[in-house]
Amino acid sequence: MNKRQPTFELTPADLTLRHPELGTGPVPTDMYWRPEFHDREMAAVYKRAWLCMGRVEQVAEAGEFFVKEIETFKMSVIVARAKDDKIRAFYNVCQHRGNHVELQSCGKADGFVCPFHGWSYSLDGRLAGVPDQRAFYDLDKSQKGLPEINLDIWEGFIFINFDEKPEQTLAEFLGQQGADLAGYPFHKGTEIFEYEGLIKCNWKCMVDSFCETYHVPILHARSVTDTLASPENPHGRLIDIRLKGPHRTQSVWGNTSYVPNPVQGLAFANAPGPSITSGSVDQQTELPKGLNETRAENWSIDVTVFFPNWIIVMGTGMYFTHQMWPVSSNEVIWQMRGFLRPATNAAQRFGQENSMVELRDAVLEDCNTLERIQQSLDQGLLKEFIFHDHELALRHQYHVVKQWLSQYEEQA
Amino acid sequence: MSPKKQPNSKYKSTKIKAKKTSGKRSSKSEAKLLPRGFKSLEKWVDMWVLADSQARTEQRHAVDYQDINAFYDDMLAKADKALALLNTLQLGELDSAEERLLKLMLSLAEIGPSVEWYQQNAVVDGFEPDRFKLTVQLPDNVAQGL
Repeated sequence: MNKRQPTFELTPADLTLRHPELGTGPVPTDMYWRPEFHDREMAAVYKRAWLCMGRVEQVAEAGEFFVKEIETFKMSVIVARAKDDKIRAFYNVCQHRGNHVELQSCGKADGFVCPFHGWSYSLDGRLAGVPDQRAFYDLDKSQKGLPEINLDIWEGFIFINFDEKPEQTLAEFLGQQGADLAGYPFHKGTEIFEYEGLIKCNWKCMVDSFCETYHVPILHARSVTDTLASPENPHGRLIDIRLKGPHRTQSVWGNTSYVPNPVQGLAFANAPGPSITSGSVDQQTELPKGLNETRAENWSIDVTVFFPNWIIVMGTGMYFTHQMWPVSSNEVIWQMRGFLRPATNAAQRFGQENSMVELRDAVLEDCNTLERIQQSLDQGLLKEFIFHDHELALRHQYHVVKQWLSQYEEQA
Repeated sequence: MSPKKQPNSKYKSTKIKAKKTSGKRSSKSEAKLLPRGFKSLEKWVDMWVLADSQARTEQRHAVDYQDINAFYDDMLAKADKALALLNTLQLGELDSAEERLLKLMLSLAEIGPSVEWYQQNAVVDGFEPDRFKLTVQLPDNVAQGL
């Protein structure tokens, strides 16, 4: 017997061996930097997968809408709740000459009026009015509504699918991962902040940076290391990684002996509900099956990646999301949103600001590294990645993308 | 059809105009700059009572680190007392002195990591803050959860 031993007994070893189909060997880096992979991925993945657009609370009442500019496809998408209470998504394209019919990022309206010639559309997308309509030849207004995009909702999150006939429903696509997280109190995170930036790296590298904690004791040594690692868990090993279809969840180990710094300590004592890493075991009993699925006592947060580009980081109180919108093989627009519980007094507003600031500073530690990695990749200086056992999520992403590419290209 | 547009309360894109430093403040002429018991913090009002989160981030990167450090020390000395007061107040119902105290605490949140993590203004080897912008921010003093 020469079986590899874990460095300590708190977290499992050989997570990777649970998935023999993924292997243990090096992974080629081509798809992380070769430009031709970008176009292939956009067609095979981003035009076929369900993509999160936002929350139902953004369109809580009939007439409310928001416009999402999707840089990946240079497309503008309107999401609106109509008078029939149904939420729909449309391409923001006037069917007369192609101008955007809505220029505001959000609002409440009776419909949409193109600011070019005044064609107007109702909230359900129908073409309602055409100025001087008599001067058009054979215009059938019933055929000239705003083009609709497939839309469905999971736990209050609005998803769209650019495929005219999606191969899977949203529920099928989210599968077990979606089912296992149902019931998390996403709707309680009503107070929202958002950051956005363009990072010069491949979208998959960006996703990967949130999917392993092996780097935490080193890269985040000044900031969050002591929350997610300790002398007991010096390498920041995970509690568990669960692969569910194309999606994946990491349960992150938390240092229960962690003593917060003074400002953070004040904030923890004045946060609206528990902060992201300061929950108790009792609270976990109310959490959905898929969160801290092993019910580990040292659990801090779960990081779930909904393939391809949406990550939810969930604790017992707040949660936050990352979304990556690829622009090219080495550029990605990254949006980070925090969802906090409402402050019931002014002191809790301080707790919210601390959560936001510390999260932002911690992730700012990741980005220069990502751009340096991409530089090495773009120069062809790193031909393969060697993944640690607890970098299984990275290995999984590679295999899922490869699988989606080959499946799509075989069909084509 | 003449749709009337009105802004949505959530996810409103914010256009942020930050003051780098606030030279003269009309508040100086007011009788009470901060609630009773916080006189030692009055000297920080000009530098650290700012419009919003974005302005606080910009200020963190604009001032000398010595000012961050001294502000941190002065604020920590009064933070328990400040939070005890703010704990009794509802957002949206603060008077101007109380709001200034809240904003000082929010600035403390912004510069906490400068002192406790980095011992300098910015994140060590951090991504340029200008490249990761706040596009939606929490208002400082507006009732929440409505």
